[in-house]
Amino acid sequence: MFLTKLALKNLARHRNRTLITASIIAFAVFFYLLLDSLIGGMTEMSYEMIINYEAGHLQVVTEEYWEEEEKLPLKNLITPEPELMAVVKNVPGYLGSSAELNFQAMVSNGVNELPVIGRGINPQDFSGVINLTDYFVEGEMFHAGERRAFGVSPAVIGKRLADLLKVQTGDYLTLLVKDKHETFNTIELEITGVIYTGNPLVNAGLVYIPLDVAQEALAVGDQVSKVLVRLENKNRAPGVAKELAGQLQAVNPQLAVYSWDQLEAVTVAGAKQMGNRLIMTIILLIAAIAIINTVILAALERMEEIGMMKAMGLQTKEVIYTFVLESTGIGVLGGILGVLLGLAGVGVFTVVGLDFSGIIDMAPYGIPVVGTIYGVWNPFSFVTVFAFGVIVSLFSSILPAYWAADKDPIKAIYPR
Amino acid sequence: MALLEMRGLTKIYDQGKIEVPALRGIDLTVEKGEFTTIFGPSGSGKTTLLNLIGCLDRPTAGTIIFDGQELGGLDKKDLAMIRRHHVGFVFQSYNLIPVLTAYENVEFAIRLVNKYDKKEIRERVMRILEAVGLAGLENRKPNELSGGQKQRVAIARALVKEPKLVLADEPSANLDSKTSEEVLQVMAKMNRELGTTFIFSTHDPLVMEYARRLIEIRDGQVAKDQRRE
Repeated sequence: MFLTKLALKNLARHRNRTLITASIIAFAVFFYLLLDSLIGGMTEMSYEMIINYEAGHLQVVTEEYWEEEEKLPLKNLITPEPELMAVVKNVPGYLGSSAELNFQAMVSNGVNELPVIGRGINPQDFSGVINLTDYFVEGEMFHAGERRAFGVSPAVIGKRLADLLKVQTGDYLTLLVKDKHETFNTIELEITGVIYTGNPLVNAGLVYIPLDVAQEALAVGDQVSKVLVRLENKNRAPGVAKELAGQLQAVNPQLAVYSWDQLEAVTVAGAKQMGNRLIMTIILLIAAIAIINTVILAALERMEEIGMMKAMGLQTKEVIYTFVLESTGIGVLGGILGVLLGLAGVGVFTVVGLDFSGIIDMAPYGIPVVGTIYGVWNPFSFVTVFAFGVIVSLFSSILPAYWAADKDPIKAIYPR
Repeated sequence: MALLEMRGLTKIYDQGKIEVPALRGIDLTVEKGEFTTIFGPSGSGKTTLLNLIGCLDRPTAGTIIFDGQELGGLDKKDLAMIRRHHVGFVFQSYNLIPVLTAYENVEFAIRLVNKYDKKEIRERVMRILEAVGLAGLENRKPNELSGGQKQRVAIARALVKEPKLVLADEPSANLDSKTSEEVLQVMAKMNRELGTTFIFSTHDPLVMEYARRLIEIRDGQVAKDQRRE
């Protein structure tokens, strides 16, 4: 108890040094919390991008298709029979579902050609899962069964693609596709709408056309790649996916259900987050160096005192205890300060946000390059970074404290 | 009755290629309650002898029996326990803990013994501070005390746990003669009243005046051992 009192009194011994070291820890904690909030916000946004513009909450596909999805194959497709759709519509929290047919294509404006993903959709069903209404910068979504003059199919494309091809609403495009039998086919398109979303794939790489047009051009009959499902709450998706998969076994044993968090893009975002956490850990290690430096300075300064304490009968571990407790005290002080600053910083961050446009390319995260990123509250991070700061302070002091405490008491008392 | 028995005490410092003998086969017995001064020129081995007696160091050869216990077979922890319970130290540079008050510096030593309750600790600390002439100064920190007052705190710290032995290495080295005398009077008083054994290492003739036994060390050996009334 007395050693604890001594350690706490030692905290006030060199107030400036204590405050500077605590400030370094506080800054590390604060910086970690801000970055964590930002990355959390970016990740959350990228999830929303994927859910809102690409995948919905659930995807009903065959397992074989899922495994090869990157290639957008025209085999292992499913038929959205009424029996299947009835089961899908009965899942808890159901909001909407949409069958879609995805395929590889080259889009041409007659001069230039670009690779794109073609997406055959039923606009009415599609809007129940992915609502693009607010993102039209020109024109609008085509209607079910709509055909333009001379049987040309309507199409919606992203703003970036439109800019690349130098086209706008009313202009014509040609989609070059390979059908199910590997035969080349073309689809003539008239642009009815141009959209600009936060999703770079939608902006630059997707062409929406009516589902029936796509099915006919690709010779897949009434088959589709998958059925997307929108739920009330994304957090319930993993549970509902399991439940739905069980129910679909009776309809078609080859069908599988995947929730949004199983998408490759989400996994990649998660992996990137892990990498960022590693960087943030390095920031905290800098705080450890500050603590080591402080303990060594304190030990050198108090060498005769340490010698006296040992002469009084203190054991090495008791001397270590005083140093470690002192460092832990600095860690607690820095941690509290950092958390308070973090609360303020993240608070501002979640309300005001941070405009990253023009600073770094956020496309890999699926984050809008124009606009503001808002932070997210992550109470777990506050608790863990505080605990980590204290633990780092504690452990980083052990070795220098041992170095000081294990000194021969005679050499410590008579240093010269 | 002997508090300390030293037989053939030898200490050789290994300084790389050279071996430096500090003590060469010292035989000494110190009785309980003695007020002894070890003196001799610099480098004669006084401090080395004090360190060995105080369980701060181990001899290269020879034995030390402290209050009936042979120290040779004890490990670091056991030696620390002997220091904690039975030995008090007074050093020339006081070595007080600057963040603690005079009271707390003394309290620290008695807390380590872990033998007394809170009330008893307070009574003992206040009593010893009064005995060394520091009544009313207990709340001062070392930087608010004079050199003599600091040394009195160090003496109080050494005595508060009522050790069997107090070792004082050049206790008057940083003090003027008047303060030195006051401090020595305090220690002589404690020796008389508590029966604590004191061993000094010094060059100071004043300290030698107070001693009832004078041991001269030269070249690591006892050159003279003189008792006086």
